[in-house]
Amino acid sequence: MRKYLARRLILALATLFGVSVIVFVVMRILPGDPLVAMFGMEGFTKLTPSDRARLIADLGLADPLPVQYAHWIRDIATGSFGRSFFRGDSVRDLIVHRGPLSAEIGILAVLVSWVVGLPVGIVSALRPNSVSDNVARSASILFIAIPGFWLGMLIVLASLFWFGYKTPLRVIHLWQDPWANFQLVIGPAIVLGLGQGAYIARMSRSCLFEVIREDYVRTARAKGLVEGLVIMRHALPNALLPVVTLSGILMGFVLGGSVAVEQAFGVPGLGRSLVTAVIERDIVVVQNLVLLYAMIFVFVNIAVDLSYAWLDPRIRY
Amino acid sequence: MSHIDRRTFLKHAAIATGGLAVASELLPSPVLAQEDSPLRPDPAARRGGTLRYAVHSAAAHFDIHQSGTVANIGPQGPMYDNLIRRDPRDGQTIIPDLAWKWDIAKDGKTYTFHLRKGVKFHDGADFTADDVKATFARIVWPPKGVVIPRTPLFAAVSEINVLDPHRIEFKLKEPRPAKFMLGSFASGWNVIVRKKSLEEHGGNLRQVMNFPGTGPFKHVSRVDKEIWIQERNPNYWNKGLPYLDRLEIYAIPPFDPANGSALLAGKLDYGRLLDPVSARKVKATPGMTSTDFYQTVVQAFFMNNKKKPFNDPRVRRAFHLALDKHVLVDVVKDVAPMMVGGFVYPFSEWASPAAEMSKRLGYQTDPKPAVQEAKKLLAAAGYPNGIKDLDFLVRDIATFRLWSVAIQAMLKETINVETKLRVAQASAWFDEAQAGNFDVAISAIVSTLLDPSDYFTAWYGKGGPQNYSLWENPAFHDLTSQIDHELDDARRKALVRKAEDILEQDPPLVPVSWEKIYDGWYNYVKGVNPYKIIGIYDVVRWDTAWLAK
Repeated sequence: MRKYLARRLILALATLFGVSVIVFVVMRILPGDPLVAMFGMEGFTKLTPSDRARLIADLGLADPLPVQYAHWIRDIATGSFGRSFFRGDSVRDLIVHRGPLSAEIGILAVLVSWVVGLPVGIVSALRPNSVSDNVARSASILFIAIPGFWLGMLIVLASLFWFGYKTPLRVIHLWQDPWANFQLVIGPAIVLGLGQGAYIARMSRSCLFEVIREDYVRTARAKGLVEGLVIMRHALPNALLPVVTLSGILMGFVLGGSVAVEQAFGVPGLGRSLVTAVIERDIVVVQNLVLLYAMIFVFVNIAVDLSYAWLDPRIRY
Repeated sequence: MSHIDRRTFLKHAAIATGGLAVASELLPSPVLAQEDSPLRPDPAARRGGTLRYAVHSAAAHFDIHQSGTVANIGPQGPMYDNLIRRDPRDGQTIIPDLAWKWDIAKDGKTYTFHLRKGVKFHDGADFTADDVKATFARIVWPPKGVVIPRTPLFAAVSEINVLDPHRIEFKLKEPRPAKFMLGSFASGWNVIVRKKSLEEHGGNLRQVMNFPGTGPFKHVSRVDKEIWIQERNPNYWNKGLPYLDRLEIYAIPPFDPANGSALLAGKLDYGRLLDPVSARKVKATPGMTSTDFYQTVVQAFFMNNKKKPFNDPRVRRAFHLALDKHVLVDVVKDVAPMMVGGFVYPFSEWASPAAEMSKRLGYQTDPKPAVQEAKKLLAAAGYPNGIKDLDFLVRDIATFRLWSVAIQAMLKETINVETKLRVAQASAWFDEAQAGNFDVAISAIVSTLLDPSDYFTAWYGKGGPQNYSLWENPAFHDLTSQIDHELDDARRKALVRKAEDILEQDPPLVPVSWEKIYDGWYNYVKGVNPYKIIGIYDVVRWDTAWLAK
């Protein structure tokens, strides 16, 4: 187990190194000028070549690329993550302030996906081709097809025009005001969770569909166990393994989707910060947030792989 | 005592009378006692409360002088004062601010400002003429590494002299029209900052969030891209103002429906730069008001003069005539309010009368005569069958995306010109435009003043900061110089008309439309008058706002 974990961690570091190099290089070869955001998108200012050179040097963009990369890694190692090009705000402060909101959205989205997806999958698998199965399958295809940001916008507009409601405009943490915090995170979590839940419903249906035809399930039924116990104790745990794997992969969709969904709901989380940073060409913020998202994705998938051993006694590392 | 005879008396009297007559023309400063301000507290106003206001947006830095975006002046404006300012009640009249009086010398080359006594910065320091000198010296002669878009407005300033702690004079190399100079001093951007703040930070305030001002509101806290909270300055020099206890300024991007929805849902009291759909909904909601007002922006279609075929004025005029401005205004009506106009601000005193404009080719509601002329011009320039494969650089904003498609279709349909659209994000657009990597392009350009001496240089001037077409016309540049130096209003207007004729025949750009913007608010917000203000850069202080609830 330790050997396996060490190997996975080394591979994870290699993956993150690769991500860091890619995002670092991409941010420097993409067209665009951070000085435009700095001096105003209205375009009042025309910089002379010498002013431009001086400002670019002040931002640290005139250094050779390896030096710039080394500075970034140093900033990560010291935990500061560097400073935004523009206001001089620390990226660490940004993550600490807005990260909890995005984390809540991600965790709630996973919970919603399981709470919605699993029961739907079970009902579908146990009553194949019934009305409930057809409704569940149609709904799951619908939620896979609908873009999260569009559904988010519909929810925002419906809440506004029908109920005159709009979520709070500021970051409010769970420990500051749980109810206001809940209002901020629940919309994006439901939208992201329903999209994921649709995948989980389809996966759990097909897995359960196979498992309930296995010999050991038939044996359990033959022993006289009630159907509920047969499903919950014998069939479901064995059908869950691919669903857990899928959840780990879907975490990537949650992270990626949260960027657009936070924007649609106007939730001031990390996703929204990423959008603003891309528009402003705030390279420091973009590269740190992308690396953070990659780090979360990699470690969630390691955790998923490790959970196999706990879910399935046959698996040992 | 020397003897004064009748002849000498009459001679001196005549000189004195004439001098007074000239002085009354050149000294428009209102006569006020030093402690007075034309903005007196309204006895009907209710005091207290928090105004929740949303404006674009999170500033990229904090140095208002170096900025060109409402993202600075919007949230930071309430913390600072100017030397003189635009009256928030009508948005236009220039009134005293930290200078309670000003004199302009008869030769128009010296402006003397008399400063209020007893004014304190938010950190408790006294405000003196040294602060004004430090502020304007940086604007007029920016140090290395500091770039200030308003520097060209003060190109004629040769000296700034502190006469005493409460008197300062600006000497000009040559006279400039007083309206232009006073408008430049009154620009909302030119806020007074402390000399010490500038000295402590090497003359660069880009990373300094809270440098003290003298304004009606003081910094309390700020969360990046989220909110800026300010509280009433209890020691504000204009006793009785401001009325509000607190400002909560939320960072919401312009035209973002989030602004309108937050306003409609009661999370805000006042929203600036609303999208048209939200503005209409606000207008239809009982207890709320919305209005559009003029902005100091033209939406422009640029043609790269350094490339064929746009080095030929006939081709540029053909493009100008082929574009139906009335249709283009209609195309974006659900995204932004716009109006048709020529090369001069259509709502300014310098513009040709609307009736005259509506008969002019290129502005008529019936586009046929203009299109026929455009075809003739293109044929005469050697392109009777149209032009193919033009690179059309489009700034990635909703209005420009809509216009680019409409313009593409219009050009193809009217003069058989084919363009290939290339959409670029703002930062990339400016990169490409400034490098001249385009055939035609579309974006917006902005000015500080409505005075042609400002934007004729910035937009159409040789090497002007926003002359993206890289246009040059010696006759026009010569006229611009005359306009800058002419002190007589009537003669200046005649020169502007001549310059306008040149711009029509040899267009540096196509004025697609002139921007208007929407504000929306609850009726309990009083003391603000966006109906008459022009632009979002000058009247931003909220010192006269109050809440009737």
